[in-house]
Amino acid sequence: MKIQDIMSTKVESILPTATLRRAAQKMDQLDIGALPIISGEGTLLGIITDRDISCFAVAMGHEPNSTEVQKVMTKEVFTCFEDQDISDAASLMEDKHIRRLTVLNHDNSVVGLLSVDDLAHGSHDLAGAVLEAATPIH
Amino acid sequence: MKIQEIMSQKVETISPDATTKDAARIMHDLHIGSLPVINADGQLLGIITDRDICCKVVATGRDAGWTKVHEVMHKDITTCFDDQEIDAAAELMTSQHIRRLAVLDRNNSMSGFLSVDDLARGSHELASNVLKASTPAH
Repeated sequence: MKIQDIMSTKVESILPTATLRRAAQKMDQLDIGALPIISGEGTLLGIITDRDISCFAVAMGHEPNSTEVQKVMTKEVFTCFEDQDISDAASLMEDKHIRRLTVLNHDNSVVGLLSVDDLAHGSHDLAGAVLEAATPIH
Repeated sequence: MKIQEIMSQKVETISPDATTKDAARIMHDLHIGSLPVINADGQLLGIITDRDICCKVVATGRDAGWTKVHEVMHKDITTCFDDQEIDAAAELMTSQHIRRLAVLDRNNSMSGFLSVDDLARGSHELASNVLKASTPAH
């Protein structure tokens, strides 16, 4: 099974200069936990999660109304291609102890997100193995 | 398999009067995503997650240094008993669309926590079903 068969294709992104509060509002309204950060030219710069906002920004005392997302985003984004097999995606998540991948097409544009939840729709065993390898709770 | 065999036992807790900033810092330091809220008498009042701090404090423009845990915690906690079968826990998570349960002993004292990650150690299939039923990204 290919990644594109099970990935989430409704990808919302945010600009690097948006504030943390704006990112939090977007995640709340859209019921999502992560936003890719894409520049005006369409380049993927990073990713920010609800956990980054609470456990990093809030815990460290960054002011959410003035701090830009680019200051706290994770710059090392793990990606895969939409036409790869879902087992490749699961191996990468397991290796890196993560629960989400950003999905690219071969023009390097972001076309989707693949979470361990999406993976569960493809294979119970792959999703279970990712959960076991993931860092606690997150 | 019983819930007590796979649950997380060392559960860190927080007081309802602590600030959400304190909660964020504890979650950050301990690499966890949620804290049970316990009053001075040891009574379980609610639960607070990293996402609550993102969506209910940052998104709404409240100051995490002033907002108390009890103002944003979830009061409706779903619980199970430590001597129940893990299938029962999975069924409860699936029907309530949630990923975590507070685990009680038969004296109704908190004895641990069971997350979908813990469940994956018992059964990939049960954990996967919980992921498929849970709300997006949460």
